[in-house]
Amino acid sequence: MTTQTKPVERGFGGWVGFLVDSLVAIPGAYAHAFRRRPVRTVVLTVLVIFGLIYPVLNKEFFQPYNRLSNAFPLPFPEDAVVTFMMIFAIMAIGLNIVAGFAGLLDLGYVAFYAFGAYTAAFLASPHFGSVSIVLFSETIPGFPGIHLPFWMLVPIAMAVAAAFGALLGAPTLRLRGDYLAIVTLGFGEIVPVIFKNLASVTFDLGPIHLVNANLTGGNLGINPIDPPIFFGIRFGSSSGIAAVYLGMILLAGAIIIARNLERSRMGRAWMAIREDEIAAEMMGVNPVRTKLLAFALGASFAGVAGVFQASYQGLTTSDFFTFATSILVLIMIILGGIGNIWGVIVGAITLVFVDKTFLPYLGQRMAAINSDLPNPSQFNFLIFGVLLVIMMRFRPEGFIPSRQRAAELRHAPPGQAIGSAATMGDAAVAAENLADTIAASQEEEVLAEAAAVEEETAAADGTSETPPRGPEGQP
Amino acid sequence: MDQVIQTIIIGLSNGLIFALVALGYTLVYGIIELINFAHGDLFMLGSFIAFVLISLVFHINADTGLPMMIGVILVVIAITMLATATINASIERVAYRPLRNAPKLAPLISAIGMSFVLQNIALLIFGPANKSVDAILPPVNVLSSFGISTITISSEQVFVAIVTIPLLVGLTWFVSKTRQGKAMRATAQDPDTAGLMGVDVNRTIAITFLIGGALAGAAGVVQILYNNTTVWNLGFRFGLNSFTSAVLGGIGNLQGAVLGAMILGLINAFSDRYIAANWTNAIVFGVLIAILVFKPTGLLGQQLADRA
Repeated sequence: MTTQTKPVERGFGGWVGFLVDSLVAIPGAYAHAFRRRPVRTVVLTVLVIFGLIYPVLNKEFFQPYNRLSNAFPLPFPEDAVVTFMMIFAIMAIGLNIVAGFAGLLDLGYVAFYAFGAYTAAFLASPHFGSVSIVLFSETIPGFPGIHLPFWMLVPIAMAVAAAFGALLGAPTLRLRGDYLAIVTLGFGEIVPVIFKNLASVTFDLGPIHLVNANLTGGNLGINPIDPPIFFGIRFGSSSGIAAVYLGMILLAGAIIIARNLERSRMGRAWMAIREDEIAAEMMGVNPVRTKLLAFALGASFAGVAGVFQASYQGLTTSDFFTFATSILVLIMIILGGIGNIWGVIVGAITLVFVDKTFLPYLGQRMAAINSDLPNPSQFNFLIFGVLLVIMMRFRPEGFIPSRQRAAELRHAPPGQAIGSAATMGDAAVAAENLADTIAASQEEEVLAEAAAVEEETAAADGTSETPPRGPEGQP
Repeated sequence: MDQVIQTIIIGLSNGLIFALVALGYTLVYGIIELINFAHGDLFMLGSFIAFVLISLVFHINADTGLPMMIGVILVVIAITMLATATINASIERVAYRPLRNAPKLAPLISAIGMSFVLQNIALLIFGPANKSVDAILPPVNVLSSFGISTITISSEQVFVAIVTIPLLVGLTWFVSKTRQGKAMRATAQDPDTAGLMGVDVNRTIAITFLIGGALAGAAGVVQILYNNTTVWNLGFRFGLNSFTSAVLGGIGNLQGAVLGAMILGLINAFSDRYIAANWTNAIVFGVLIAILVFKPTGLLGQQLADRA
């Protein structure tokens, strides 16, 4: 005899009742979610609502029918701007893994964006016209060049970017803080220079003969690049809304992966390394593996963003990948709240909006008043620079902070701040500090581990006294 | 052979300008462990201030008499050094001092912000195009009076050396012999202990920024009289070259910064001449990464190596 419950048989009235019950239950569930995780709920709600009503709001669709918007033109982001919001949100999530979770300041993140973009440019364009490789692509066979479909480019670009991420990570493992930042900056400057200069390569080694081969298109870059095509529908810059939705899908994937990484064993290891590398290593976290994975996985997000940028715009040149772009992504995560995925998404969307829609709009309005006024969109980095200084001074944890990160940024760990007498060997204080900051998180496992280490170090000191509490308690 | 010697001369002249800027990086890093990202842009502002003074205020050109020109150049150098020193100390007061007790990366990010601010101020005032001054120094080959014509040492290169070398010597004297220099060295070693010994740490750090800023201003004047042109984003690449010099010599080490700057100047000149100018930046960054990864203490060493 089976214990299987018999499916409820509902008549029409029953179905209506079920539907009403479900609808009634939604506000309660929503309110519960809002109480538990207010930021996440609000950001997700706004994103979903925006996604649903976007086609209606869409400027081209909306404007001809709307006298009001013609009389008072508001700054409304165009399809291309919304697509770039998605691209930069994906990058912000990736940089957040490196800089936010693992605490490794990467000032050359744009290099991985470039690797993604050039992956698409090499593998889905007529650039290498001497060969003809068409795989699963909806391009006519016999068309020159290599043409791989978008769904295949994404994992390839992730792998390429991750490999270069590990390559950058490997020699920098011994460095910390500002030296690491400078090495990554150098890497971020070298990569675009290489892409720019490999326009005429002469190379003769064994079976490979190249005479003045144009590998990267030089200053002009590579175009046209195939747009993403799914089931015969193009998702390029000429297809407007379709590309926005492809971007949203990619962003959703990025969010899911990053959330899972954050809550995984590796995510906790990243945060432990960020808080105190020595203490984390004593607890059994392998710093080499942990940092390399942070670099590689963080880079893979930029790889996806790069593929999407190149396929969407249909071109890529080395001029896209400047230090300013790296810093723009850094400002996004600092503004939004470093360490908090939802915060950095909001930061990315806000900053792209300000940069690409609001400042040009402001410029138009100002020019209408007086044509001699300077154009604010030309001085966007003046505004962003001031923003960075002000944020560091008054709100280093960002507008939507991660609680854990906020605690760290407000109190420098021992040995790092000028004026702190503690040395790196002061493990008891370090472990105490680690426990303090982790207490803000809800990860019981980490808490238990930290507490264990605290006991161990206290025992190793041969004293039962409570170690001095936090950085302020030091002599 | 002549060509090699000529390249060395160009490299050493560039290296002297790098040295002035590199000293600013190394002084500041030595004392508060901050990579002052805005320092290269301060140098750029210095060259713009000199541009304004030379071509808009004093209107000197190649026809100006020599005694008059020397006087004006000295005044320009003095005003520019004063201006950039003030700007640098103000930046320290506004953007770095409040972050003295924050994690190490907070002032670095603040410095990146200041760098963009300075660049965009120059862009706002002077526009995106290069600004040039007349070549006011006489176009002569100094070596021709010794009967050598295949190698050129221009009057600009002599000028670079005349301005730079006394400043380098003066700085070394200041840091090693004066009371204030001793306070700087003490603060660099251990700010807390220095404070306990009666050193006013905030004042010492402010003076360090003043000196670094003044040197960057002098470098700005020298650069605009040597290359006759400046542009708003000059500071980024120039600053990174200078920072690389400081790291190469051993950051925090004054003689090291000068040695590093000479080597970097030579690397730049040889790369421009014998490889290709468009690879020079990549080569400089490659050198920087290689030093930081394999020998973070630099050539002449530094006491802060273990913190790097």
